[in-house]
Amino acid sequence: METSHLTEVKLTLQADLIFLPLATSFVEQSARAFGLGEPEALGLTLAAEEIFAYLCRAAAPGSEVQMHCTGRGYYVEQGFLFEVRNFNMRVFNLTASVPTCELAETDETGLLIASRMVDGFRFIQKDKNLHLILTKEKTYPSFFDLPVPEARPLNEFSVRPPDSEELKMFVNLVNEHHLAQTIPMSFNFPGKVVDMVACGDFFVEIAADRAGHIGGGLIWHWDGIRLVEFYGPYLFNQPLESGMAQSLIESCIGAIARTHAVGMINRNPTRELPTEYFDPLGSLTFRQRGGGALDMMAYYRHLEEDPGLLVWAHPSINAFVADEYQRLVFAREIRLVRDQGESTSPWSVISAELDRGSSRVMLHPIWLGNDSEKVLEAYVETLQKEEILNIFFQMDLGRPWHCHFTPALLGCGFKPRLLLPYAGKGDLVIFQHEPGESS
Amino acid sequence: MRNWSLEQLLPNYIKRFEPYTPSKPDEELIKFYGCSHLYRLNNNENPLGPPPASQEAIRSFSPARAAVYPSGDAYHFRHKLSDKFGKQPEQFLVGNGANEVISFVIKAFCEQGDNIITADKTFAVYEWVAEFSGIDVRIVPLKDYAFDDQGMLDKIDVRTKILFLCNPNNPTGTYWSHEKLRHFLDEIDGRRIVVVDEAYFEFVEAEDYPDGMSLIDEYPNLVVFRTFSKMYGLAGLRIGYLAGGLQLVDAIRHTCIVYSVNGVAQEAALAAVADDDHLLRTRRMVRDGKAFLKKQLSKLNLPFISGEGNFLMVKLPMSDTLVYRKLMKQGVMVRTMTGFRFPNHIRVTISKMEAMEAFIDALAKSVQ
Repeated sequence: METSHLTEVKLTLQADLIFLPLATSFVEQSARAFGLGEPEALGLTLAAEEIFAYLCRAAAPGSEVQMHCTGRGYYVEQGFLFEVRNFNMRVFNLTASVPTCELAETDETGLLIASRMVDGFRFIQKDKNLHLILTKEKTYPSFFDLPVPEARPLNEFSVRPPDSEELKMFVNLVNEHHLAQTIPMSFNFPGKVVDMVACGDFFVEIAADRAGHIGGGLIWHWDGIRLVEFYGPYLFNQPLESGMAQSLIESCIGAIARTHAVGMINRNPTRELPTEYFDPLGSLTFRQRGGGALDMMAYYRHLEEDPGLLVWAHPSINAFVADEYQRLVFAREIRLVRDQGESTSPWSVISAELDRGSSRVMLHPIWLGNDSEKVLEAYVETLQKEEILNIFFQMDLGRPWHCHFTPALLGCGFKPRLLLPYAGKGDLVIFQHEPGESS
Repeated sequence: MRNWSLEQLLPNYIKRFEPYTPSKPDEELIKFYGCSHLYRLNNNENPLGPPPASQEAIRSFSPARAAVYPSGDAYHFRHKLSDKFGKQPEQFLVGNGANEVISFVIKAFCEQGDNIITADKTFAVYEWVAEFSGIDVRIVPLKDYAFDDQGMLDKIDVRTKILFLCNPNNPTGTYWSHEKLRHFLDEIDGRRIVVVDEAYFEFVEAEDYPDGMSLIDEYPNLVVFRTFSKMYGLAGLRIGYLAGGLQLVDAIRHTCIVYSVNGVAQEAALAAVADDDHLLRTRRMVRDGKAFLKKQLSKLNLPFISGEGNFLMVKLPMSDTLVYRKLMKQGVMVRTMTGFRFPNHIRVTISKMEAMEAFIDALAKSVQ
C-alpha cells in the first residue's frame, strides 16, 4: 500500500477472493480515516465487497485490481481500476444485474446491491481499463438547526469569498429567501457546503458591506473540464437596481475567464439572474416526488470566441441540432452518421450517474452494440422501479458512434432537449425520457 | 509504455494553466461562418500594412538568404534603434514579437515564490507567462478604467520582483501621465523592476503622455517594451524589443533567446524606424475611424470606452461572445472582452472607413 498524498490511499491486489478481507478492511479503515461515520463507512465497505467479489469471479486469472480511496472532505470516493481484456462489459449495465427470477442469485446482483449502498456510481473507460468509482457522502445537520439573520438593503457592498461562518450564514439566507428549485440539494446542509468549498469543489462569493452584512451571493462548480455550472445569484431583500446581481455575475466571470472553462450554465435560475449576460439554452422538465413537474429554463454563456466545429448527428435529430445551432448562432458543419450495415458489437454498454437525492440519473454511452434499444428499455424500466423520475442521456456530437444511439433513444421515449456547446469532445445533446412516450 | 504517466511529469502550475488557442485561419473561419469575406478588427493590426520602405525591404529579400541564419541579436536593427533614441545598441534586446521579451524579463528576475503585479483588466500575456513559469501573479483592479498606482504599490511584498504597466492600457486606452509615471517610479525607488509596455506608443497624441524611453537613463530599474506589430504593420513577421539601462539589459540578456527573430523581420523593421509619414497617415485614419465610430455608436445608444490607441471598447446589452458570432456571420471579426474580464464588451480595431461602416452595420443588426 502506498500513500500518494494526505487524502488518498492506494492498494493494488490480485483479483482473487483470498484478498477479499484485505480489500474490505482497506475500504473501511480508509473511509473512516477520511471522516465517514460508521453507517456510511459500512455502506461503502459493503458496496466495495460486492464489487471486488464480482471482479474476482469475472476478471481474467491473475489480473490486477488497483483500489484507491480518496477523502474529498464531504465525501469519500472508492475507485477500482482494472483491465477489461477478456471481460464482458455488458454486465456493467445496471440493468444486466436485475434477476430474471426471484430466487436467482446471479453474479450481477452484487453490482446492483453495490449501487444501492452508495450515493454515486459511475465508471469511465480508459483505453483497456475500466475505472469504476463509488462515492459515499458524510452526513450533516440540516440548515433548520440554525438561526437566520435578518437581511436589509445594503448601502454599499463589495464582492468577496466568505469565511466559513459567513458561508453558513449565507446558506441559511439562501434557504430562507429563495425557492427550493433554485437551490442545490447540498444547500440543505451548511456544514457540507463549507466542506465542499474547502476542498475546492465549489466556489462561493458573497456581496457584503463593510460591517459584514450579507446582501447576496453566488455559487459555482466545475461540471466536467470545460463547463462551469453556477447557482444564483441569490439576493436577500436587495433592490434589483443595486447592481448586486450584475456584480456577482461579473465577479464569477472574471474568476473563470482565464481558466479552461469555455462556457457557464445555470440550470436553476433565480428571478434575479441578469439575463443580458446569457443566452436561453432551452428547458428540462424536473418531475417531483410528490407529483407535478417544473420546466426549468437553462441559461448559458459562452466564454470564448467560437472558432467553428465539425459535429456528427443522426439524420433523425438533424433538424433539432441544425435549428439549435441557428438559434444559438454557433458555426457548425454537421455531418450525418448512417448505418450502412457494418458489423458492430452484439452488446451495448451504458453507464449511469445516479443522484438519488434529486431523483435524477444521467446515462452515458460506453459501448455501442446491436442491442442498444433493449438496453435502454431495460434501463428505463429499472430506473422507474427505483423511483428515479428524471432520466437523461448525454450524447457527444464529437463522437460519431454516440450518434448511433439516436434511433434507440427516440424509440424508448427520449427526446432531445438541450444542446450544450463544447461540453464534451464536441457539443453535447441532452435527451430526456418522457414517460409514456416509448414506441 | 506501461509506466508512462504524463500526469506525474507535469508541474502543477502547468496543469493549472490553460493554453491559449489562437483563432483559426481566416479561410477556415469564413467556411464555418458562411460569410464571403472577413474584416479583421480583432487584433489591432494596421490595415495600411507596413511602411513603404519596409514593403520594399520585404520584396527585395532574396530567397537564397533564407538558407543563412539571421543576425542572432539583430545587430543592424539595434544600431538603428540606438541612433533613433540616442542610446547604446546594447541597451536593446530584440524578440520574436514583444510577447517574447515579456518572457525574457520574467525569467531573468523571478523564481518560484516570487510574484509580479499587474492589473486585472489588461493585456493577458504578463499574467500568462508568469503563471506558466510558476510565478505568482497579483492582480489589481483597474480604477476608473486605468491602472491603479496606489493599489499596485499596496500589493508589493518582499517577493515582488516586477510591476507591469500597459501604457496606454489595452483594452481601455487609458494612460498614466508623465507626472504619474514619474511619481510611481519614485515611489518604487529602484527596489523593483518596472516594465512599461508601450505597444501602442506611436498612436498616442495626448501631450502629457510620457515617453518611457526618455526616462531610462534616470531610472535604472525601468524596462520599456515596443513592438512593430501595431503601428508598423509587421505583425506577421513578429518583431518587438525591450530597452533599458545598460546594467539592467545585461542582466536580462541571460535569458534572451538569440536567433529567434528572422532576417526579413529585422530588415523590414529597420526600414520602418524612420518612416514618420506612415505614422501620420495611420494616425489620421485612426482619428477619422474613431470619430465615425463614436458618432454611430451614440446613435445606436451603445456606450463605449475610447482612449488612446487604435481600438475602442463597446459595451453591449448582451453577451459579447454571442455578438462575436453574430458579427462573424456578417464577415466582421472583433475581439470579445470576456477574457479581459470585461464581460459584455467587445474591442474593435480602428480601420479603414469601409470596414468601420461594415462593422457598424453588422453591429446594429446584431444587437437588435
